[in-house]
Amino acid sequence: MSQQIPLTWFLYFAAASFSIGLMGVLMRRNAIGVLMAIEIMLNAANVNFVAFWRYGPTPASEGPISGVMMALFVVTVAAAEVAVGVGLILLCYRRWRAADVDELDTLSG
Amino acid sequence: MAAGFSLQDFILFSPVILLTGWGLLTLILDLTVLSRLSDTDRNRALGLWTIAGLVSSVVLCQFLAFEYVGNVSGQDTLIFFDTLNGGVLYTQFAALVLLFAILVTCLSMVWNFTSHWGEYYALLTWSAVSMIVLIASEDLITLFLSLETMTICLYLLTAMEKSKKRSAEAGLKYFVYGSVSSALFLFGLSLVYGQTGSTGIDMIGQILSGAERPGLSGNVAGGVAVLMIMVGFGFKVSAVPFHQWAPDAYEGAPAPVAAWLASGSKLASLVAMVKVMGGALGTWSATTSPTSPGWVGLLALISAATMTYGNFAALGQTNLKRLLAYSSIAHAGYMLVGVIAVGISTRREEAAAALFFYLVIYGLTTIAGFALASWLDRDRGTEDVDDLNGLGRRHPYVGVAVCVLMLSMIGIPPTAGFFGKLYMFMEALNVGGQDKVTMIGLVALGLFNSVVSAFYYVRILKAIFLRESDRKPLQNMGPEVSLPLAVGAGLALFFGFQPASLLEDMEVVSRSGLRFAERPIASEERGVVRTILPARTENPEAAPAAEAPKP
Repeated sequence: MSQQIPLTWFLYFAAASFSIGLMGVLMRRNAIGVLMAIEIMLNAANVNFVAFWRYGPTPASEGPISGVMMALFVVTVAAAEVAVGVGLILLCYRRWRAADVDELDTLSG
Repeated sequence: MAAGFSLQDFILFSPVILLTGWGLLTLILDLTVLSRLSDTDRNRALGLWTIAGLVSSVVLCQFLAFEYVGNVSGQDTLIFFDTLNGGVLYTQFAALVLLFAILVTCLSMVWNFTSHWGEYYALLTWSAVSMIVLIASEDLITLFLSLETMTICLYLLTAMEKSKKRSAEAGLKYFVYGSVSSALFLFGLSLVYGQTGSTGIDMIGQILSGAERPGLSGNVAGGVAVLMIMVGFGFKVSAVPFHQWAPDAYEGAPAPVAAWLASGSKLASLVAMVKVMGGALGTWSATTSPTSPGWVGLLALISAATMTYGNFAALGQTNLKRLLAYSSIAHAGYMLVGVIAVGISTRREEAAAALFFYLVIYGLTTIAGFALASWLDRDRGTEDVDDLNGLGRRHPYVGVAVCVLMLSMIGIPPTAGFFGKLYMFMEALNVGGQDKVTMIGLVALGLFNSVVSAFYYVRILKAIFLRESDRKPLQNMGPEVSLPLAVGAGLALFFGFQPASLLEDMEVVSRSGLRFAERPIASEERGVVRTILPARTENPEAAPAAEAPKP
């Protein structure tokens, strides 16, 4: 029962969504879009953690649960990061009337 | 102490707990008692309040170091389910981070760059807390959590300067780069977890060195993990090619925050990097055979690029903060040589001690450099190198202090910067085996770069001593600027004459606080003593689960 879906499927899924997130970060111009792409990347890593925990060498019900703990903490971190990120984007929007990352070019050199 | 936790763990971590509460009290004070005061008065009151909290935390820390830590070492120092280090490493570096924080708080009181002083000082306190926890981390969970807490506080601190547009931009840029890098870092950690089934740093090191085929050869997932973890740390310590945020963030941030970014955050990230790369992934470090590359080669490339780029880009800078930013990138390059030495040297503890020596001196001198920038910011609102013109005539003592600082940053005796470079490069040259040539090349490049760096550091001295000022004179700097400047220059000179005292202290720290797994030896057949995971009884993570009620 527990082995119906192989581990590799989860890993392919996580790698695929991580790549989608990374492409989003690189190609999106809107800062909110970048923020969303970062969230996808964090969640891809979370899928990895939970999958590795579930299919790990120690039985999931009694072994160390650090993989799941990590995933839970990452969810918290991601929430904090979004709060701060949206705050910063709003701050920039007020100054430039735009939320595009390529408009921010005062600092360079 | 066995796995699990006791009251003593809380006592050992009381300086950190105290500071966390102190930050909350800062917010409450700002909103209640001090709400009617002017911005200047609130800045002064809350700054002194924060300094009081930091000082009491240092005192508590040193008291605990004598009372509890004493001479315990090794496994005994781990607390809170083996996730944190409660030994000399923690107490010494906590005191150091807090000293940096005190100096940065002094600088924050120099001028009014924001009106949100309660939030500012609370975030400063909490970022100091998370730096201490990051240094003490012995588990990937606490490591990632404290790393993120630290950077999230720093994103906000960077964007704190209200009067300048560039501050918000710097904050957003730092945020975007930083959070992408931490996502990459986390994915790397997940792959390491998948390979080892553990998140304990020491445990990962043991499992990897006990594997059937130690080393990275043929291990694609391991290679990807190393790459991603290196990207994560590369961003945090601003190594080329992940450095783009650093000059913008340092220039845009208020000068005290830039000082904090360059000293505290770099110190904490590099200690964590030594632990993860040297401790957990140390097995994957060396080039053991042509078919088994380690992470050393990659890190050597990054290090060479970092110091060269940092120094050459700094040559053309006119803004003092931006110049210091590039100088901090260059110093990160030198320090990565130290990290590599820790990874492959046979004298790993000594190599780590030399790196820590360099970090301490670098942190102190760079804070003092940003003290100069804060002073310019307060009186002129700009911080160009030209603003320093004629400073030596008007303020000879400042001139002497800056002279000491610049000599230390270049690495000229009798300043501590010289001994920092000397110890670190000597440890790098002690490396034997296949990577010896790489290390010799890196040290040679490092020395060449030190010569290049002299050009822009001396430009600051030239402005101070040889040029006439054409701008309005600076006012007296006051104790908030002079204290960090004096502490930085004084300690750079003191440890220049007494380098052994600091080095011995750092050796004690690295001997008792860092645990390195055995490294594979190329020719030796290690046999299949351990399979993939060690026996359950050896697993410190298994203990908490055993305490859980059984049906």
